[in-house]
Amino acid sequence: MEKVGIVGYNQVKLYSDANYGRYEMIFEAVRGALDSAGLKKKDITTVVSATNDYYDGRTISNALTVEPGGGYLADESKVEMDGAHAVLYGLMRILSGNHKLAVVWGGSMASSFPYHTARLYETDPIWERPLAYVNDITSAGFQMRAYMEKFGVSAEDIAKIAVKNRKNAAKNQLALVEAQNPNLTVKDVLESEIYADPVTELMVAQPCDGVAALLLAPEKQALKITDNPVWVIGVGYNQETYYLGERDLSSSKSMELASKMAFNAAGVKNPLSEIDVAELFEAYAHEELILSEAIGFTEKGKGASLSSEIGGDMPINPSGGALGGNPPCATGLIRIIEAVKQLRGEANGYQVKGAEKAIASGQIGLCAQNNILYVLEGGN
Amino acid sequence: MSKRTLRKSMGYIKKEYPRTRTIPASWYLSSYKFKFNITHMKPFLDKLKQKKLVGLQCSSCNRIYFPPRQICGKCLVKPDRWIDLRETGRVASFTVTYLKDPETGEVLERPIVCAQLDGADTSYPAQLDPDIEFKDTYIGMPIKVHWAENIKGGLMDIEYYDSIEDSAKDLQPKEE
Repeated sequence: MEKVGIVGYNQVKLYSDANYGRYEMIFEAVRGALDSAGLKKKDITTVVSATNDYYDGRTISNALTVEPGGGYLADESKVEMDGAHAVLYGLMRILSGNHKLAVVWGGSMASSFPYHTARLYETDPIWERPLAYVNDITSAGFQMRAYMEKFGVSAEDIAKIAVKNRKNAAKNQLALVEAQNPNLTVKDVLESEIYADPVTELMVAQPCDGVAALLLAPEKQALKITDNPVWVIGVGYNQETYYLGERDLSSSKSMELASKMAFNAAGVKNPLSEIDVAELFEAYAHEELILSEAIGFTEKGKGASLSSEIGGDMPINPSGGALGGNPPCATGLIRIIEAVKQLRGEANGYQVKGAEKAIASGQIGLCAQNNILYVLEGGN
Repeated sequence: MSKRTLRKSMGYIKKEYPRTRTIPASWYLSSYKFKFNITHMKPFLDKLKQKKLVGLQCSSCNRIYFPPRQICGKCLVKPDRWIDLRETGRVASFTVTYLKDPETGEVLERPIVCAQLDGADTSYPAQLDPDIEFKDTYIGMPIKVHWAENIKGGLMDIEYYDSIEDSAKDLQPKEE
C-alpha cells in the first residue's frame, strides 16, 4: 500500500453534558488540527465528516457544519458510521491522487438524545424489536454471557479490564471526568448498577459529547508539512451478519478477517511481538478481550491472561479506550489519534516507551458487528 | 454577560452553563411506515396458526433459518426449502432487560434469551417464562414454546419459552 501520512490531529475534551454548542466544538477540533500542523483553511482540499442523525437527534446531521468543519468551497461528504470508517474514506480520497490534504472529523452530542434508546432502532423491526427489548446494552449482555460461558472466563477478569481502562483514563486529560477513577476496584465494578446482567454500569462505555479531527496527506506532501508524520501502512475492515442469532457472539470473526487484511498490507507476521501499542474501540469491557483475541494477541479465551497495562506485554488502551468516554462517531477516530500520540511521543502521562508500530480500531453495530483496523508506523 | 442572556423566564437556560441554551425538541420516530416482504414467510405464518413451527433452509449451504430469512447472506440466494421443527430448543445466550410498565411506572425485571430451536441453525431473541428466576437460567437450558391464548398467525403467537427438564419426553426424537 502507498503510504499516507497523518500530519495533524486534535480532540476536544469529552463532557457528559458539554457547555458547548455543537458547532463550536467542531470548529475547535478542526481549527486545532490545522494549527497543530501549521496549516490554513486554503490548504484543505477535501473534507470527510462522520456524524449520525440518530445519535444527534435530528436529520441531516452534517447540515450547518460546512463552516466549522472547514468545508466552505471544498468538497465535503459524510460517513454515517464510526469516525474510523471516515478515515478510510479520507484515505481513499488521498490515494486517488487528486487531493493534497484531507480533513476527517467526527463526533456528536450524545447529551442531546437518548443514545441507548436510539440504538433500539438498530434491531430488526420484524423479528427482534417486538419480541425482546434488545438494544446495544442487552445484546452486549448476550455477548458477554456467551463469551464467559464458552471460555470459562469469570466476571472478575472482565471487571479488571474496566478497572485498567478507567485507571488509564485518569491519566488522560481529555477523557470524560465521570470515567476517570484512579482508585477503582474490581469490587466497585461488579457491584455497580446492573444494566443487563452480567454487564454492569462501569463496564459500559458512557456515551458523551465530543468531536475529533485528523489530517491526512499523501507521502510527499506529508513530509513537507511536518518532520514527524505517522504513516498508515495497513488497513482492514470486515463485517458480520446483521442478525444476532446467526453469529458466534463469543468471538469476533469480522475483526479476525479485518486484522488479517491489515497485517497483510503492513507486512506484520506476529502481531504480539511487532506491535508496540494497541488502541481498541471496546464499547464494553468484555469486547476488549474478544477483539484482542481476534487480532491474534492470544489464543481464543486467553485474552484475560495478557498483561495489557502500560508497560505490560501489549499495552491496550493506555489512553483509557472507549471506556474513558464514548462520543458516538468520534470514538474510533480518537483511538487513531491516541495511537498517533503514542507514536509521536506526545501521550503525556500515559506514554508507552519506544512505541514504533501501533494499531487502532473502530467498530459499529450491535456487538461490534463491523470492525476496522489500522496499522500505523512512526515516521522518523 | 448581558441581562438578556440571563433571563430565566425563557426556561431554557441551564443555570450552570451560561454559554449554551437548551431548547426542548422532539423527533417522532414512530410515525413512519416500514414496508417489508411477507412472501418468504407466508408458509411460516400459516403453520403458526396450526401451532406448528417451520424453518427455512438454504438449499446451497443447508443452514436452517428460524425465524425464516428472505436471503441467505452466506450464499446470496433465497432459501426455499421448508423444514418442520420441534417446539423444543436450547438457550444460546441470555441476559436480563428492565422494562418500565407504562401504566404503573414499575420497573420489571425480565429475563430474555437467544432461543435456538432444535434443528435450526440460528437463534433469535425471545422472552423467557416470567416465573423463572433469572439465576436459574443457564446456557444450554432446554426450553419449550409456550403458545399464546389467541393464535393470530404472527411471531407473537410464541408468547414466551417454558423451561423443561433435561429428561423431558419432548426432547426425545419422535419415533416414526
